[in-house]
Amino acid sequence: MSSTTATPGHEPNYFHAKKGIKNWLYTVDHKRIGLMYLFGILGALLLGGFFALLVRIELFAPGLTIVGKDRYNEFFTLHGAVMVFLVIVPGIPAALGNIMLPIQLGAPDVAFPKLNLASFYLWCVGALLMVYSIANGGVDTGWTFYTPYSLHSAGSVWPAVLGVFLLGFSSIFTGLNFIVTVHKFRPQGMGWFQMPLNVWALYSTAVVQVLATPVLGITVLLLFVERTLHIGIFDPTLGGDPVLFQHFFWFYSHPAVYIMILPAMGVISELMTTFSRKPIFGYRFIAYSSISLALLSFLVWGHHMFVSGQSKLATMVFSALTFSVGIPSAIKVFNWAATLYKGDIRLKSPMYYALSFLLLFTIGGLTGLFLGILSVDVHLHDTYFVVAHFHYVMMGSTLVAFLGGLHYWFPKFTGKMYNEGLAKLCAVGVFLGFNLTFLPQFIMGSRGMPRRYWDYDSEFQIFHQLSTIGAFVLGISIFIQVIYLGIAFKSGKKAPQNPWGATTLEWQAPTPPTEFNFEVPPTLYELYNYDDLEEQPDGNWVRKPGSQPASTSSAHH
Amino acid sequence: MSQSDKDKHDDHGGHGHGHANQSRFIQHHYDDAQHQFDSGKLGIWLFLVQEVLFFSALFVAYILYRHHRPEIYSYAHHYLDVKMGAINTAVLIFSSLTAAWAVRCAQLGQRKGLILTLSITIVCAVAFLVIKYQEYSHKIHEGILFGEKFDPCVSSGGGPLVTKRNLCEGIKSSVVFDRGATYSVATQPTGCLDAAKIDHSPLQPGIQATCKVAEVKFTRDAKGNKTDGAARDIERCEEGYVGGHGAHGEAKGKGPKFPCWTFSANPNICPTGPAVLVHYGDEAVHAGVEIRPTCDAPGPVVNKEVDAATTLAMGKGGTTHEMPKTKHELQHEFSMGPPPPHTNMFFSIYFAMTGLHGIHVLVGILVFLWLLFRAVRGDFTPDYFGPIDYAALYWHIVDLIWIFLFPLLYLIH
Repeated sequence: MSSTTATPGHEPNYFHAKKGIKNWLYTVDHKRIGLMYLFGILGALLLGGFFALLVRIELFAPGLTIVGKDRYNEFFTLHGAVMVFLVIVPGIPAALGNIMLPIQLGAPDVAFPKLNLASFYLWCVGALLMVYSIANGGVDTGWTFYTPYSLHSAGSVWPAVLGVFLLGFSSIFTGLNFIVTVHKFRPQGMGWFQMPLNVWALYSTAVVQVLATPVLGITVLLLFVERTLHIGIFDPTLGGDPVLFQHFFWFYSHPAVYIMILPAMGVISELMTTFSRKPIFGYRFIAYSSISLALLSFLVWGHHMFVSGQSKLATMVFSALTFSVGIPSAIKVFNWAATLYKGDIRLKSPMYYALSFLLLFTIGGLTGLFLGILSVDVHLHDTYFVVAHFHYVMMGSTLVAFLGGLHYWFPKFTGKMYNEGLAKLCAVGVFLGFNLTFLPQFIMGSRGMPRRYWDYDSEFQIFHQLSTIGAFVLGISIFIQVIYLGIAFKSGKKAPQNPWGATTLEWQAPTPPTEFNFEVPPTLYELYNYDDLEEQPDGNWVRKPGSQPASTSSAHH
Repeated sequence: MSQSDKDKHDDHGGHGHGHANQSRFIQHHYDDAQHQFDSGKLGIWLFLVQEVLFFSALFVAYILYRHHRPEIYSYAHHYLDVKMGAINTAVLIFSSLTAAWAVRCAQLGQRKGLILTLSITIVCAVAFLVIKYQEYSHKIHEGILFGEKFDPCVSSGGGPLVTKRNLCEGIKSSVVFDRGATYSVATQPTGCLDAAKIDHSPLQPGIQATCKVAEVKFTRDAKGNKTDGAARDIERCEEGYVGGHGAHGEAKGKGPKFPCWTFSANPNICPTGPAVLVHYGDEAVHAGVEIRPTCDAPGPVVNKEVDAATTLAMGKGGTTHEMPKTKHELQHEFSMGPPPPHTNMFFSIYFAMTGLHGIHVLVGILVFLWLLFRAVRGDFTPDYFGPIDYAALYWHIVDLIWIFLFPLLYLIH
């Protein structure tokens, strides 16, 4: 079946289906929208990375290095806001998920293609507002926009806040679209537990997106009204409660951490099983743990506020609940490790990222437990320990998984292969650079170096310098990646239909897919069963003759 | 997806989707009309969940502030107009009925009924916003606003919260009210009283109006001090009341001198602002009208200083006219005392919640106008009525949110 679709059919691929810039701007094709997202997100990644490097350069030496204190405040704010709202939150779902989710379901598109395009344009307007706030003097509140400072800061707060509002709705609509797509567009024969784990992860993410993001929406909207009309709900001088802002903010922003990490876990699940040539260990546990992480994520926001003056009872409850998050997270880590065990591990470049993820996420997750302990948190709160923990989860895990997924699916959605040697080199560069950047931050944080400080004692200088060097290794690696992926996109070697020998449906689609993804309906084989696949001399994997399909998907239900 | 694209897609039959004999609004990637309808329905329900959560933060803020400062809520809700709120509730519930009816009409293919019910829904929604506009403009006029714009000219002497509207009502209630007068004042930019008018209309059927116009004018020197502090009896009653009633229960005959309204400057209050002394018959009744300099002109932003005893005395005056309800209102209004600190928070919540709800109503109107256009064009068939269904569901949630807002804001005690 798959070998027949490998030969070029009579349909052009989605790049050639409709020509012209207008057909891209008005497209409702999920792959084109996803690709436009990808370009935007990579651009934002470079912008946020640029600010990160500026922050690191400033911290290379105590005191003034390149910029003054106020400018420094703007740099770390913009780094955080751009990276969180423009890169990590939409990164995997809106770009990679958009391209791959319908194809993994054997569907022609997402449920609401026009809404999908609207989400993209909301993202664009939000991104432009962010850039406008940078050009218009910058924001110095930190990406969290804590009141009351954000009410009185002279920075260009309102465009950033309005941008976050629009980006929030972009995220909500993407999540809504994905939930309906998963419910209504599964092919016949694909029950909930025959879905790829990436789909499970995107589904869980979408649930969080729809349930948590509206609260961020109303919170930043109130902040916007507060800035413009002085409505007073968060302003203590008018009787408002600034801590309420923190509650609202973290009611979204803690689940948002799972919006960022859950899809990464989905990508890693796919990579682990594919490159171990072994069925995923504990499929149902991974699926259930995705959903339980999504639900638990709503119950732990108070652990960001242990020192905000909330009640003792609340801190203890939040602390206890925080530890429960460790259970589903650990289930996943153990299951991935068990998948590797006795696997026929193929060290292709995406697998480099998957293995990096496993280590970095473990460190990020375990240091989270330190911060969940009340007494330890009082010491570590607002130090570089938190910064390092956060980056191990958000960057070491999510961004690494994003890069892994990008390398994994790149051949499918572009039809081109990239330079594998360079890809592996950069993957190593990302891993080493990342650890060099953030391991020292754990040490200086535990020794009392506060985060967001422009100046520091000379005893911290060696850690800051290691961190800055690491950041440059990391930044250069990512920059090279963007370059060689760009070159591959333009003039890479033609990619085979199934270069990794994976079993999910997207690898049955033509490479690159046609406008409606499949020329002939895909055949459902047993998920993650690699026994029936064999590699051809040209690098393509095909099914052995006589492979038994699980069922056919002639129609959706 | 344009029509030609869909046809092209149908030609190759890539997904085995049968599209024959279906509404042209069935998009290419759905199996059939039912598939599209079900997907849309799940989508709109998720959207409504999102809407509920979007409002939830405001409800949480409401609960929290009410828990912390219940006195603000019980004090400030008196400034909401229950009657208008109730009318709006009825209007919205009725529009929800017509929206649901529109769905039924679309299902049955009744185009005329669909157009009619959609039109009624739109009219009701517009009526809701018009009434809301009345309420808002009233509050803006009175300075009852949110946050730091909350400036209802609270008496510096710890008197009751009196706004422009209160002032008029206060005067009406306590002094002239029983006689059905209307009262208006104009202020200078400095906030000083410039002119005051009482338009005195009949109290009861059969009783003639007497005092027509009363005017008081002050001048100020260069420093802004009032130079003419003396009472100026420029008011002249043109005719007196008919019949035996009066402030002190005395029977008075018809005559031009009763009751007479004398406006005087009270030197103890100026230059903060002049006061008005009302002479009720022979007795001067203090109904001090203080104009705070903070109150911006134009607009009679004034503060009335009426102590409880005076109020009651005036109220008693009213009892002879047997208007117990009025008296009750009057006592109620002025027994509230000074506003608790941060009363503005109630109005912050009020404007945030009703404002956001109003925006949703506005969006609903635009959606229904679009649907009306499509209904007139004849897009909807029993096979394809999803958008009507989704819009009606959205409208129900807008209605439902109002049904929570109305008692939480207007009907609390």
